[in-house]
Amino acid sequence: MAMGTTTGRPEKPSNLKRNLWILGAAALFLWAAISVNVDITDLAALPSGLWAILTAMFPPEWSYLENAVPAMIESLQMAWVGTIIGAVLSLPLGFLGARNVSSPLVSNIMRQILNAIRAFPELILAIAIFIPIAGFGPVAGALAIGIHSAGTLGKLTAEAIEGIDEGPMEAARATGARGLQVQRWGVVPQVLPELVGFWLYRFEINIRAGAVLGVVGAGGIGFLLQQTITFTQWPKAGTTILVVIVATIIVDTISGTVRRRIIEGSEARTVAEVDLVAKAQIDGAGSA
Amino acid sequence: MTTAAQVSGRPAKPPRSRALIAGIVAFVVITAISVSERFGIGLDIVELIGDLWRVQPILEQLVSPNWEFLPKVVDPMLETLQIAIIAAFIGCGIALPISFLASRTTVPNRPTLTITRGILSVVRAIPDFLYALIFVAAVGIGPLPGILALIFFNIGVVAKLLSETIDGVDPGPIEAADAGGSTRTQMVRWSVLPQVLPNYVAFSLYAFELNVRASTVLGFVGAGGIGFLLKVQYGFSLWSNVSVIIISLFVVVFFIEIVSIRLRRRLV
Repeated sequence: MAMGTTTGRPEKPSNLKRNLWILGAAALFLWAAISVNVDITDLAALPSGLWAILTAMFPPEWSYLENAVPAMIESLQMAWVGTIIGAVLSLPLGFLGARNVSSPLVSNIMRQILNAIRAFPELILAIAIFIPIAGFGPVAGALAIGIHSAGTLGKLTAEAIEGIDEGPMEAARATGARGLQVQRWGVVPQVLPELVGFWLYRFEINIRAGAVLGVVGAGGIGFLLQQTITFTQWPKAGTTILVVIVATIIVDTISGTVRRRIIEGSEARTVAEVDLVAKAQIDGAGSA
Repeated sequence: MTTAAQVSGRPAKPPRSRALIAGIVAFVVITAISVSERFGIGLDIVELIGDLWRVQPILEQLVSPNWEFLPKVVDPMLETLQIAIIAAFIGCGIALPISFLASRTTVPNRPTLTITRGILSVVRAIPDFLYALIFVAAVGIGPLPGILALIFFNIGVVAKLLSETIDGVDPGPIEAADAGGSTRTQMVRWSVLPQVLPNYVAFSLYAFELNVRASTVLGFVGAGGIGFLLKVQYGFSLWSNVSVIIISLFVVVFFIEIVSIRLRRRLV
């Protein structure tokens, strides 16, 4: 590297920092692996246990579709309504949380509120708040999903708004628009495609997140999954699991196609898509 | 937009696209069905608002946490962290090679791509809670089924994100490697991996965060960690104990998120 070195390869840059990180990570893993209360010999039961379950599930009991399909539809409806509740609530929260359209004080407070909402998983919202209010059933589940989603979507909305071009807002103001009019004509058209993408993506996550709610009586297919598996009714469990997998893949495919169509045109498709999904996942955290 | 003939008035509005109209109609119909009493979940907002008071007795207990319960939270919380760490390491480790087989850029041939992606979409379609149920049935209750469940969950999440990142890498270094006569493995190692490594670490951190959040769910079906404690206290309606669990989880998640955001910022 230095002027004097005339022969040979340049010196390698130092890896010390990177190696320290790797060492730290390895230590963390070792701590967890050594201290966790797992008898490693239990793992020996895994292949035979799984195989026994799989073979017991096939052939599935097709007549059980009568129960599984309506329950899955209920799950989808819960996720759909929950996502809409989340999306509707996230709009005002997101606008108030965006630094460039709201005031610094309000946006800071709103960000903290959004973080707090996000920290409560659907399961806890369901058992502690919404089952007491709405009683057992899918309404409680939809509300739990909705409130949790409002936290994630609100944060993503705020960030999307912070990334807009200020020009259209100025233009709207120049024509005499004020307050909400500026938001409607200067901000919404710019962020809407991205937001719709987030909503669809959230819907996909909510279908999965909703599955567990059935266990506590908040509706959906989770109840059937738990009943059939806990009581080892394997052919019925097989039918139910197949319904979950097929329905989820169908919805993912439709939603993915729509998302791509919405984003298409602005940039190279795959890059924008990855960006959206990664952003939704990384910032939104919380499929669980 | 305006032709020479049109001299006054607004220009005509552009026609709405068919796809947009179809989308709006589909949205309205699905929503109407979903909220209806007869075909859907039966959402009645007026009734809900009238029933809001029902949550009051629980909230009263939730806002007065029983701090004496805190020592009992420590061990299950540590178990949750152990489960999350082990699963994140193993799951993300497995996801790395799979991602290269699930990306157009690095896959050796078309059939491999189709098969890998097919398997991945099934892996992702199964929710964490269902994995937990299955593994509890296969190996019994405890942290082990929790670890196994989260491994699969993490493979699904990380392999999807990473394979899509690989799809979008800069082709320059790949062409350079090809021009230099490298094998596919060498090309992946020296041209693709360095480009996606920061993303991979970021996705893995994210997977770890998700694992801690998933702990409530896992414990509810017997797969270890803080969720089991939550289930028991909830079962006895001991809300002031539940409150301590929620607050602890809140603090742990918050702390992990801060560390994770810092680390990710350094990487990207």
